[in-house]
Amino acid sequence: GDNRSSMRTAADLVAYKSVNDLPPQRDLMIHIDQKNETVLLPIYGSMVPFHVATIRTVSSQQDTNRTCYIRIIFNVPGTPFSPHDANSLKFQGSIYLKEVSFRSKDPRHISEVVQLIKTLRRQVVARESERAERAT
Amino acid sequence: MADGQLYNNISLGGRGGTNPGQLKTDQRGIQWKKQGGGKAIEVDKADIVGVTWMKVPRSNQLGIRVKDGLYYKFIGFRDQDISSLTKFFQSNCGIAPEEKQLSVSGRNWGEVDLNGNMLTFLVGSKQAFEVSLADVAQTQLQGKNDVMLEFHVDDTTGANEKDSLMEISFHIPNTNTQFVGDESRP
Repeated sequence: GDNRSSMRTAADLVAYKSVNDLPPQRDLMIHIDQKNETVLLPIYGSMVPFHVATIRTVSSQQDTNRTCYIRIIFNVPGTPFSPHDANSLKFQGSIYLKEVSFRSKDPRHISEVVQLIKTLRRQVVARESERAERAT
Repeated sequence: MADGQLYNNISLGGRGGTNPGQLKTDQRGIQWKKQGGGKAIEVDKADIVGVTWMKVPRSNQLGIRVKDGLYYKFIGFRDQDISSLTKFFQSNCGIAPEEKQLSVSGRNWGEVDLNGNMLTFLVGSKQAFEVSLADVAQTQLQGKNDVMLEFHVDDTTGANEKDSLMEISFHIPNTNTQFVGDESRP
């Protein structure tokens, strides 16, 4: 399935080659770098990049105070739909970041982020599975 | 080295984002003041136990670990500031700053390192991010392999980030040997 192919290639996909390739830091908010297929998350005052291929799902929720919550779940080995593969075997013993959730006061920004991540992820997964198919 | 040195546009990093200010060094230690007043930090040179440098996008980050386990992050140093500050720490505190590297590969697997109350997530021996366990409201074990950290809701006015971290969880496969059967978990 989709997860399998994205996991297999996640090891080869690199968000940035050097520290200076990161986009200029604007506000400390979730940012999508479409060119580099990367999601940047504000963690403790720094923007932390995650390649979109490491992401499994993204969802958002809004409470009555118009506060928005966004949850990003990453690919980890050994869960249904992402069985152990070449990648997890190669990095045996690693600890995985599995999930992050953020709170935001800006529902429009959050729904935009969710849409962008979903679209970007779909594109990358489609491209990579096509590549895998061509290789076989 | 008796003379004080002033560094402008130095931000204090942390949970609620970054705050711009000014950093000063003198024979007593280092002082940081928030631009426009308000928050100030004074660190006596005798209390400094560790100093790190890290290259961050378009800037350099100074990390200062103090005796009681607190850890300060200052961002905004130019390349040429590194040598003067490194000299300062060497001659005044007898500490040689260590160099850390930032991971920008975008991977979500690596190692977890616990030092003082800081939890660092390392990807390929480079630092991806760090969080302070002092801000963790509770930890939960989910299933056999997942650990969730829930952060305090930070409503202080000092917070200037638009999106705030609420929860983070790590998956520790059975193949990991670092935290095997360790109930105190990360």
